[in-house]
Amino acid sequence: MTTSHSGSTRYRERVDSVSKDILRNVRFNQGFILWMGFLTAVLAVCLFAYTIQLRKGLGVTGLRDITSWGMYIANFVFFVATSLVGMLISSVLGLIGFKWVKPIARIAEIIAVAFASIAGLIIISDMGRPDRLPNVFIYGRVQSPILWDVTVVTTYFLVSLMLWFIPMIPDLAIAKTRLNGRPAFLVKAYELLSINWVGHKKQVKTLNEAGRILLILIVPLAFAIHTVTSWLFAVTPRAGWDSSIFGPYFISGAFVSGTSAVIIAMFFYRKSYKLEKYLTDFHFEKIGRVLALVSIVYIYFNINEFLVPGYKLKTLDEIHLKELLAGEYAPLFWGVQLLGLLIPVILLLFKQFRKPLPMVVIASFVLAASWLKRYIIVVPPQAHPFLPVQNVPVEWIVYTPTLIEIAISVAPLVLALMIITILSKLFPVLPIHELAEEETLAVDGHETDLAHIDETAVYNEEKKANNN
Amino acid sequence: MRSILLGIVTFLVIVPDLAGQEWIVPDDKKGKLSTFQFDENTKKSGEKIYSVNCISCHGTPGKGNFLKLVPPPGDPATDKIQLNRDGELFYKVINGRGQMPSFKNALSSDEIWHVISFVRSFNSSYKQLIMPVITSSAYPGAVIKMMLSYNSSDSTIVLEADAVKQNSSVAVTGAEVKLLVHRTFGHLQIDDIKTTDINGKVAFKVPANLPGDTLGNIQVSARFINEDTFGSVSKDTILTAALITLPVSLVAERAMWNNVRKAPVWVILTYSLGLLTALGFIGLVLMKIRDIFIIGESVLKDSEKINIT
Ligand code: HEC
Repeated sequence: MTTSHSGSTRYRERVDSVSKDILRNVRFNQGFILWMGFLTAVLAVCLFAYTIQLRKGLGVTGLRDITSWGMYIANFVFFVATSLVGMLISSVLGLIGFKWVKPIARIAEIIAVAFASIAGLIIISDMGRPDRLPNVFIYGRVQSPILWDVTVVTTYFLVSLMLWFIPMIPDLAIAKTRLNGRPAFLVKAYELLSINWVGHKKQVKTLNEAGRILLILIVPLAFAIHTVTSWLFAVTPRAGWDSSIFGPYFISGAFVSGTSAVIIAMFFYRKSYKLEKYLTDFHFEKIGRVLALVSIVYIYFNINEFLVPGYKLKTLDEIHLKELLAGEYAPLFWGVQLLGLLIPVILLLFKQFRKPLPMVVIASFVLAASWLKRYIIVVPPQAHPFLPVQNVPVEWIVYTPTLIEIAISVAPLVLALMIITILSKLFPVLPIHELAEEETLAVDGHETDLAHIDETAVYNEEKKANNN
Repeated sequence: MRSILLGIVTFLVIVPDLAGQEWIVPDDKKGKLSTFQFDENTKKSGEKIYSVNCISCHGTPGKGNFLKLVPPPGDPATDKIQLNRDGELFYKVINGRGQMPSFKNALSSDEIWHVISFVRSFNSSYKQLIMPVITSSAYPGAVIKMMLSYNSSDSTIVLEADAVKQNSSVAVTGAEVKLLVHRTFGHLQIDDIKTTDINGKVAFKVPANLPGDTLGNIQVSARFINEDTFGSVSKDTILTAALITLPVSLVAERAMWNNVRKAPVWVILTYSLGLLTALGFIGLVLMKIRDIFIIGESVLKDSEKINIT
């Protein structure tokens, strides 16, 4: 009992210091207001562009009969891809038992929530008649991968939201008494959202069960969202999309873009939230290895994706591959593969590059390349339709996104950044109780049961023991 | 200086092109004529054939909305096409050139004459010349006739060719004949090219699985291979020689392309079970959240009680 008690005091001290570091950022400072103001201004421009599209129709974009999926759909695939990282970090790495993912898991979930929630909106921007959106639900066909996609992306978003929220419940309970000086509504929200958390043994057990169910559930869901997204392409016989490995190809690519997004976020939080103590070089070193690993897996799938059709060279595949590897899209293709995949992997193999600053540079390249990669997956295969193209203007055949289209494509990123900003300004970005527990553990050398540490619970149990 | 150079260049570029545009029809083909009078029926039939086979390139006659190909297809209502003699039109449609497809197998001779009948209806000064007698070098002065009939006992289509001159009639022997059956897209050749026997007869074996219409009818046409010797006789007939085929609507049964009520069962099951499983687990987690809430409530109440006592 004594050890546990001394453990609990130490734990309480740790909670105090950790929550001080982390809750310091839960506030609307000037930086927040400026940043949100900037995002709002950009968003206003994007929305203005969208009103033009709404009034005049999709004709204001570069989309035409031949290339009817352009930047919007590429953007959509990118957003779905990036949101997949929530599953990779919290679930795959977490369930394997890597302790170092603890401070990163919530960051990954924030990215997952933000990107998954916006993905659906992008599809609406690709609709010439968004007022007909309800038809998707009224006349939706279960045979259509589009309906599957709507279903799985929504479900994935819900589960990601829960995976962000549920592990945060103890933090909310810890934080609600430590929010002096913050707006009353925030304190009230913490009070409500911490759903009577007192750290009782049974509560801890139930919370762990709930978390575990979600961590397992999110794995097939994440695979489903990106596999189904890949099927939007792969179920057509078009050269460049007609591939049986599109599912795993997309998923491995998603891990690459998601991991690089997390690295950028970690770097940002570490610097501007002053969390160097918790997001250490060690964490960067570890996640750098993850990025190298997932990139190598992705390279493997790339080889499959291009070598096999390249060997058979069916007529249409040949046209497509020539265009991609040696034709109009060659600079983009090789730029993406070299600067966004091959060179990053080589650099990440060296310890010197698995440091925060070099890694944020590498991750930025990887993330930008991930976006461009989606573009070259979506657009070039449409340039070679099965029927001969005759007697149409050049701009119908060669797709070039218009300024309006680009402006509208920026909106989802702005919205995602807004969501990320709000979530990380309203709620702790790192798991307070887990970090405190971890450090106590490091000092005490044995597991400290949360239930024994919580003030109310300890108090109650002592009372009960006295009564008996 | 520059203009001279330009002149030379244009000359070099344009002259071979112009030469290439001349479409020469052999003299002996120019005089070919239809054996029947063009009338309202042939024009109507021709219009149908035109709108299926020609309109995509040549456009609506009189509108000048033909495709901008090189050399241009031209509008059939204009001189470009109307200045051709009937035989020239027939030759050009049969053989094609460059982007103009050959309709040798796609259309029967009668059908091509029908199209010409339609094309000529845009030319008010056109006077049709008819060739009532099929010229044949093998049977000079005779009219060559073909008869087609179906023999159900051995499922063959029998062709009989006779050369009729005044009141006498002789069998056309040793003539190679081809039999085509009309399909939705173009024509299908039945059996091999065969030669008429001593009685002027030839039998084509009909494949057992050849689909016909709802009555088992098919439209067949026969023609001589060597039109120089036997004349360009052809015969179009409808025969009840094929399987009765009742068309099944493609949306009659459950299919991937059908509406949601006619979706394949496995798709409905996979989708619903997958969704229900996910929602089930989400529901389970929500229950757990509720449990946490309830436990917390009771603990907090307890602690209040203890505090009071
Ligand atoms: C794929 C496009 C295409 C289709 C279909 C087509 N044509 Fe043509 N047609 C052409 C082109 C191109 C030319 C010019 C060819 C040349 O001059 O080398 C042409 C030329 C002709 C000519 C000769 C014109 C002249 O200058 O003497 C005739 C007659 C003609 N077409 C009739 C028809 C008929 C009848 C049909 C339908 C049964 C048809 N075409 C279908 C493209 C087409």
